[in-house]
Amino acid sequence: MASGDPRDRVRGAFAGLAIGDAAGWPAARHRWGLLAPWTRRLGRELDGFAEEHRVTTLPVPFALNQPVAALAVGPSDDAEWLAWTARTLGTDRRGAFEALGDDVRARISVRTALDNLARGVDPPASGHDNPHFFDDAAAVRAVAFGAAHPGAPEDASRAARADAVITNAEDGVHAAGAMAAATAVAVAGAPAGDAVAAALAELPPGTAIHGAATDALDLPGDAFALVPSLDAALQDHVYSYGVAAARTVPVALALTRASDGDLARAVPAAACLASLADSAPALTGALTGAITGWAALPETWRERARHLAGCCLPELAGADLVAIADRLSGPGPSGTAHQEGTG
Amino acid sequence: MSEFRDRARGCLLGLAAGDALGRPAENLTPEEITRRWGRLTELEPGPDGGPAGTDDTEYAIFAASLLTAHGSALTTEDVVAAYREQVLPIDGPMKGAGFSELGTVQALRRGLTPPLTGRRHDHGWSDGLAMRAAPYGVFAAGDPDEAARLVTVDGAVSHSGEGILGGRAVAAAVAAAMTGAPPAGVVAAGLGAVPEDSWTARSVRAAVRITAGRDRDRLAADLHEAVVARHYPWTDLAPEAVALAFAAYLTGGGDVEESAVTAVSLGRDADTTAAIAGALAGAGRGEGGVPERWARAIGPVRGACLPAVAGRDVREVADALARARKTHG
Repeated sequence: MASGDPRDRVRGAFAGLAIGDAAGWPAARHRWGLLAPWTRRLGRELDGFAEEHRVTTLPVPFALNQPVAALAVGPSDDAEWLAWTARTLGTDRRGAFEALGDDVRARISVRTALDNLARGVDPPASGHDNPHFFDDAAAVRAVAFGAAHPGAPEDASRAARADAVITNAEDGVHAAGAMAAATAVAVAGAPAGDAVAAALAELPPGTAIHGAATDALDLPGDAFALVPSLDAALQDHVYSYGVAAARTVPVALALTRASDGDLARAVPAAACLASLADSAPALTGALTGAITGWAALPETWRERARHLAGCCLPELAGADLVAIADRLSGPGPSGTAHQEGTG
Repeated sequence: MSEFRDRARGCLLGLAAGDALGRPAENLTPEEITRRWGRLTELEPGPDGGPAGTDDTEYAIFAASLLTAHGSALTTEDVVAAYREQVLPIDGPMKGAGFSELGTVQALRRGLTPPLTGRRHDHGWSDGLAMRAAPYGVFAAGDPDEAARLVTVDGAVSHSGEGILGGRAVAAAVAAAMTGAPPAGVVAAGLGAVPEDSWTARSVRAAVRITAGRDRDRLAADLHEAVVARHYPWTDLAPEAVALAFAAYLTGGGDVEESAVTAVSLGRDADTTAAIAGALAGAGRGEGGVPERWARAIGPVRGACLPAVAGRDVREVADALARARKTHG
């Protein structure tokens, strides 16, 4: 089912990430950030109410006296950070981060890295001296580097890792190398198994992310059947956050392979892993979208995930992710000239 | 009493007193601590009326038991066996346990083996090893390298990266303090046990710089600015906790009460930072250096976190370490 057009597959990587981002339940929480703060304060009070009154009617993002558009299904943090990366590609990575204003929402790793840069803790320490050095913020950004180096996983990995060390270290950086390499081979036309193999080659034995990835890939079954198995194999349900690259990237790899690169089977399964639903669906969507290309993705989702909300990076409100992907692919019509011999 | 036994008792009493002193202040800001207590100098009654320590003291006793059983021949397999025997059987909530202990337990239940048990959870850098590292320094008194080696054997089960470095820094510093070295030398020994290019080393060096400034009014603010990750909600980061503890110990000039009280005044993981500062100072000053009113209040632990250590008294544990040093040293 691989698409024949590399340009379409780069679109697929971007749109696939945005679709996965939109499919996870945290997207609405992020997009809620576009509404007045008191709405979310009332939401927190309703959480308390549910607890106090022992009611199972849990609050969902709502828009009392507010415009409702932000709460429609749509992409959120990961799609915006991918778009930002694509737009700043080719610029000094540290400079790109330092040029970010204060008015951004980002993962703990990124917020801490920005603080580190401001207090003179330079890369790679900015990503290392960081409580969430292990998260997947850089793995999300790495999709842009993979798309920018079709058929060249080593180059893609090198570029993604150079970006990753600003905000992450160790597993967080290996995850970026893995996502970049897998995306690079997928947009060049490789099937799911090759994309997964390219990712695995970036994960050093002995690391948590390598162990988790091999465990996840050993599990039998189709994508949806893998949900309980992945929960049992990867999740300890101990920690308060679910963005560890050592969990989300292995989920993306396992579901990509189990679905043979079919986003419509892989992303819904990723979204069912509730505690990983912030980014595992997005990473899964990026890989599967890169494999099949944009044209193969469900049209309803393509249209819904296309325009960014600006809930994390306000300057991106309304930006067209497909146009950003096309700009990264370079002049059309198909961008095949520099692809020769790489598929 | 031998000098060794006296310092060992001072170390573990200082640890237990700091733990108990800091417990009510854990996770509060320095401003909130000042608002509530001014300077918190007295051990507040615990849930059962007596001032009991929390996880720090009980896990330190757990670590000491590993040494009394195995001495310098301690292996990670011994540590795993102790987890299986004493920690895994805990049925129901693991009171007082941090993410790292529970993450380790889950990893062991899943059948993982070290070092993956310390890597396959998200809290490898927690201060859970640093908080129980003092007994390794006691056992390897005068030999910071050996103290760091031993605590690394323990840490390989539950921690990774900076979490292990935090344990190494504290164990090595205690080993130096056990010889009566001055505070600057003690902190230097701690720094010597971790790579220069590490988060722990950068944090501790920043703390040393700030305490040398001697601007007491700005101590907490400057330390927070330099070593606290302000966009992270949990306070148990080893590089941060160890830096705050060492800063308090230096500021307190190695005096047990001053060091522990200063540590608590800095907030964050106050029971752990005060326990570490108290352990360093207590090792330096011996049992007599621990304020009499604090020592009187420290009795047998309740086993609230680790039922297996219920009823153990840190003095008796210190004495057992002294005997183990003779037998296994």
